Amino acid sequence: MSTVTDELATSDPAVAGAIPHSRSWRRLLVRHGWTIGVWVLLALLIVWYSTLIPSFGSFQMASIAKNSLPLVFLALGQAVIVIAGGVDLSIGAQMVLASVVAARYMDEQPFAATLAVGVGVVILLAMVNGTVGLIVYTSKVPDIVVTLATSFIISGAALWVLPSPGGGTSAGFRAMFTGSEFGSGENFWPPIVVIAVSTTVVALVLRRTRTGLSLYAVGSDSTAAYLSGVGLRRSKVTSYAIGGALAGMAGLATIAITGSGDPRASVGANATLNSVAAIVLGGIALTGGVGSVVGAVAAAIILFFLNPILSAMKFDPNTAQVIQGVLIIVVMMIAGLLERRRRRAE
Amino acid sequence: MSSQVSVAARPASPEGPPPATLATRLVDHPNIVLTGVLVLLILVTGAIEPDYLSISGLRNTLLLAAPLGIMAAGQTILMLTGGIDLSVAMIATGAAYVAGNQSSSGAAIAIAAGLLVGLLAGSANGVGVGVFNVNPLIMTLAMAAILLGLFTAWTQTWLQGSTAVAPFIKELGGGSFFGNRVPYNVIVWIGVTLAVVGVLRRTGLGRLIYAIGDNAVAVRLAGVRTWQVTIVVYAFAGVLAAIAGILLAGRTGAVDLQLASTFLLPSVAAAVIGGTSIFGGVGTYTGTVLGALILSVLNSMLTFLDAGQAVQQMIYGSIVLALAWAYARVVGAR
Repeated sequence: MSTVTDELATSDPAVAGAIPHSRSWRRLLVRHGWTIGVWVLLALLIVWYSTLIPSFGSFQMASIAKNSLPLVFLALGQAVIVIAGGVDLSIGAQMVLASVVAARYMDEQPFAATLAVGVGVVILLAMVNGTVGLIVYTSKVPDIVVTLATSFIISGAALWVLPSPGGGTSAGFRAMFTGSEFGSGENFWPPIVVIAVSTTVVALVLRRTRTGLSLYAVGSDSTAAYLSGVGLRRSKVTSYAIGGALAGMAGLATIAITGSGDPRASVGANATLNSVAAIVLGGIALTGGVGSVVGAVAAAIILFFLNPILSAMKFDPNTAQVIQGVLIIVVMMIAGLLERRRRRAE
Repeated sequence: MSSQVSVAARPASPEGPPPATLATRLVDHPNIVLTGVLVLLILVTGAIEPDYLSISGLRNTLLLAAPLGIMAAGQTILMLTGGIDLSVAMIATGAAYVAGNQSSSGAAIAIAAGLLVGLLAGSANGVGVGVFNVNPLIMTLAMAAILLGLFTAWTQTWLQGSTAVAPFIKELGGGSFFGNRVPYNVIVWIGVTLAVVGVLRRTGLGRLIYAIGDNAVAVRLAGVRTWQVTIVVYAFAGVLAAIAGILLAGRTGAVDLQLASTFLLPSVAAAVIGGTSIFGGVGTYTGTVLGALILSVLNSMLTFLDAGQAVQQMIYGSIVLALAWAYARVVGAR
C-alpha cells in the first residue's frame, strides 16, 4: 500500500515542495504518468468501494487480493511477451492446462509433494511456451496465428489430462497463495505479498538485466536490436518461456483459490481476453517495446475489482459485463484521442 | 550457386522469360497447392470413412463450410486492411437471436432485423478503430464481451423464448435442392463470394482496402479519409457475420448463446491458411474459400476418427499450425 501513497504524493505539487526537486518530480510524472495514474485509480476505487458496502475489512481485502491473483500473473506474462514484440492468445489455455495438471497430481498429496508438483508445473509450462516461441521464430508465421493454433492444442491437452472438473490440492498450498487453508479468510497478507514480490521480480528482470533490456530492444525495433548483437531467436524463446512460467503461476493460483481443476476452454479464452485488456489499460503498447509491467498489474487488479464494485452497486452480472466492456472501450478511446492530440502537437 | 545458374540462363532470356518450372509455378499460385491439400484431405477422409465420398457426405461438408466461409469473408477483408474482428461469433449469435425473435413477423423482416444487428455492432467496431484509434484486438474483444452480456440479459427479457426459427430460414440454412444434393446455403455463399471478390478486384473501395493494409500513412497523406473506409469495412464484416449467424440458426433449427462460438478461431484460421496476411495488404478471398473448405473437411475427418474431443482439438490445432507454417515457407520462397 505504501507505493500507492507515495505516488499519490507525487501527483500533488504542494507535497513536491522544494524547487530543486520539482523538475525531477515532473520528469517522473511525465515518464511514468500512465502507470501512476492507474495505481491512483485503483486506490480511489478501493476507497470508493469501502463506502459502497456496509462493512469493509480484512475479509474484503483478502478476497480482492487473492481473486485478482490469476489475472495479475497472466497480465505479467502477457506483458513480457508483448514488450518483446509478440502477443500470446493461448495464455489463458496455458493457465487452464497448468491448473488441471496441478489438480490431477496434487490431489490427496501432502504439502511438500504439492509444492514439488507446483514447481514442476511452472517449469513444464515454461518449456511448452518456450517451444511455442521457437516455432514462432522458426516458422516466421505471425505470433497471433501460431498462438491461436496452439491455444487449440493446449486446451485439448488440458481436456486430455483432466476430462471433467475435479482433482484437488493440499491445504498448505492453498494457504500459500490465499492466506487460508480453505481458500477464503481474513488474512490478506499472503496474496498481497505474492503480488508485490512477483511484480517486483518481473519488473527488475525487465529493467535491470541484460536479458530484460534486450526484450525491450527487440520489441521496439528488432532490426536495430539484431544489428547491435541481440539474438532474436533467444529473445523470442526467452519471452515466451517467461510468459509460460507466469501462466503456470496463474494456474497454480487458480487451483489454490478454487481447490479443484476445471478444464473448460471457455475459462481460458476469457482469461486471455482479460490479460490483453489489462496490459493495454496498463499502458503497454501492443506494438511492443513500450510500457511497464507495474501499470499492467494495477490494471489487472482493477479489471477484477470492477466485478465486486458493480455487484455492490446492485447491477446484475450481465449488465456488469456490459459496463465493463464499455469502460474498457471508453478508456481506450480517450487514450487514442490523447495520443492523436500529442502527435498533432509535436 | 544461384548466380552461376542465372549467368548460364542469360543467353536464353532475349527470347522471353525463362521457362516456368513446376516449382516456381506452384510458388506463384499458392491456390493450386491449397486445392491439392483439399483433395488430399477429402481422399484421406474417404479412406477413413468410405461413405464420405458420396453426394450426401460432401453435401454435409458444404453445409458446414458455407457459414464459416461467409464469416471468414469479413475476417479476410478486415485482415487485408490490417484489422481483425474477434466479435464475429457473438455478432452472428446475436443476429440469429434477433432473427429468431422476429420470426413471427415473416422471414423478410426477421432476416432484415438480424442483419441490422450485424450492421450496428460492426459500425460501432469501425468507429472505435477508425475514429478513436482503438487497437482492433481490444475493440472487438470488448465488443464481444458487451454483446455476450447484452444478449445473456435479453434472453431473460424481450428475447425470452425466441429460440425457434422461421421455416424459410430453416430451409435456407439447412435445406437443399436438386434432389437433396446441393444445400441452399451454398447459393448464399456463392453470392457472397461474387460480391466480395467483385468489391476487392473491381472497385475503388477494394483498391483502398489493399492500399490501407499496405501503408495506411501513405494512403492518408494521399488524401483518403481512411477512417471512413475503416467504418465501412467493419460494418461490412458485421453484416457478413450476421448472414452466417442466420444460416447457422437455420441449420441447427434453434438458437442458443453458444451457437457460433466454435466458429471464431476457424474464421481467422481459414483466412490465414488461405494466404491472407494478418498484417494487411496481401491475400485473396478465393484463398479463404479454399481455407474454409479445408477446415470443414478436416472437421468431418476428425469426427469420423471418433478420437474424443481432447485429441480432436490437438490434431485440429496442429494441422492449422502446420498449414500456416507450410504456407509461410512456400510464399517465403518467392
